[in-house]
Amino acid sequence: MRRSSLLVLEPDTILNVRDCSVVLDGERLVSGVSFKVQKGDALAVIGPNGAGKTLLFKALLGLVPFSGRIVWRPGLRIGYVPQKFPVDRSAPLTVREFFLLKAKGFWFPDRAFVEHLSHELSLVGLAQDILDRPIGELSGGQLQRLLIGWAMVDHPEVMLFDEPTAGIDVGFEETVYHILQRLQKERSTTILLISHEINIVYRYADQVLCLNRKMLCHGKPHDVLRPEDLTRLFGEGSFFKHQDQAHRQ
Amino acid sequence: MYVPPLSSLVIASAVGIASGSIGSFIILKRMALVGDALSHVALPGIALALAYAVDPFWGVLLFVLAAAAIVWWLEGRTTLPGDALVGLLFTTSLAVGVLTIPDQELIHSLFGEFPALSPLAFTITAGLALASAAMTLGLARQFVFRTTTPDLARVQGVGRWFDLFLLAIFALIVSLGIKLVGTLLMGALTIIPASIGKNLAKSMRAFLIISTLLGGIISVAGLFVAHMFTFLPGPSIILFGVALFLVSLVFPRSVRL
Repeated sequence: MRRSSLLVLEPDTILNVRDCSVVLDGERLVSGVSFKVQKGDALAVIGPNGAGKTLLFKALLGLVPFSGRIVWRPGLRIGYVPQKFPVDRSAPLTVREFFLLKAKGFWFPDRAFVEHLSHELSLVGLAQDILDRPIGELSGGQLQRLLIGWAMVDHPEVMLFDEPTAGIDVGFEETVYHILQRLQKERSTTILLISHEINIVYRYADQVLCLNRKMLCHGKPHDVLRPEDLTRLFGEGSFFKHQDQAHRQ
Repeated sequence: MYVPPLSSLVIASAVGIASGSIGSFIILKRMALVGDALSHVALPGIALALAYAVDPFWGVLLFVLAAAAIVWWLEGRTTLPGDALVGLLFTTSLAVGVLTIPDQELIHSLFGEFPALSPLAFTITAGLALASAAMTLGLARQFVFRTTTPDLARVQGVGRWFDLFLLAIFALIVSLGIKLVGTLLMGALTIIPASIGKNLAKSMRAFLIISTLLGGIISVAGLFVAHMFTFLPGPSIILFGVALFLVSLVFPRSVRL
């Protein structure tokens, strides 16, 4: 991950992004994004499809080239839950071995690590007997739960969730947001979250960043999510749908 | 007697074990054909070494390492049709090699021979092959991480350098095995044990161990066949491996390891 010594982090700041832009194949897909994240904060990134939200996350993680500055507090453990399951499902990898990719001993794993796995699995609603199943045999919902459990297993200080509830059942949606709250309260985890749902942003985020290739707003949800901002971000039709959802909460 | 020379058996088992271990990752990376083409690059290396009266091993190692670095570089540039360029580059090497290697050396370069090595060369070849296998299995976590989920690996600090390292080990193993199996068939020796392993295993660790052991077994058994019928060792080893592969296709899923 690229770090810059020119940008000094204040004591409680764990991420400082200054004028970040991503250009892929000559097209500027994200430009001029600047924000800071304090320890324990929850930042939600919202915006329509194709707004560059996932790309911004990938830039934060050093997975795509970017310009500008992205400075993480050194030595942070980062957990990442991508939108789609990113593992080659044709590989003969069991769930246990998927977790062992994070352990010190792949061939002879530490017993404490293996025992800890069943606890993390129960948090995301997976039974222990899933450990010996090949990942290729799991359903979409199980893979999404597995991804969240996998990202949490080493208790990272920061978690990045890219639409963690996309394509999963309603029951688990609640579980995911319950997990988000527990992570914040019990482990003081800093959370960066991409979400389409305005109501979720109101409920869980301390800060919101509106992105549609450019940064259109940034601040506390109640301060910056005014109707005109949402219209500007999502367009007229989407705005009413989202606003309606927000009011039903 | 029908027993091949002991030195050949040791080389075959060491090179086979190394090929089986690295081949698992070549299969996982879906680079079987690239790996196969990579071994063809050895041919101009052999020609160059023969022209300067150097041991062909060094010519092969130099050319295959350089080719591995080019593959790695191309991998990072997604807009290029990587496989087409790789195919072009390596078939060119084959054409150059066939034209430049003296006729009497050509058949052995392409299909291998019973290696006649000095005691020093024998020790180095067997030692390096076993060390490559040990290194491959020792770095299994990083290699599995990179090949199955490169983005998550990157986030956990396992970067692209491991891909280059994997290809470099592959290049070394190809260079060690070419004397025995030949440039045309060396790629196959890395692919066949892993393909059988994938049919037999239901976990990654079982897959890696089965591929590694099968690499050794196929090479030694193929050598016995070659010695018995005075065949070239390369084709005998490959055909024996293919026969085992066909058997593995009917292996029931319920009894996978």
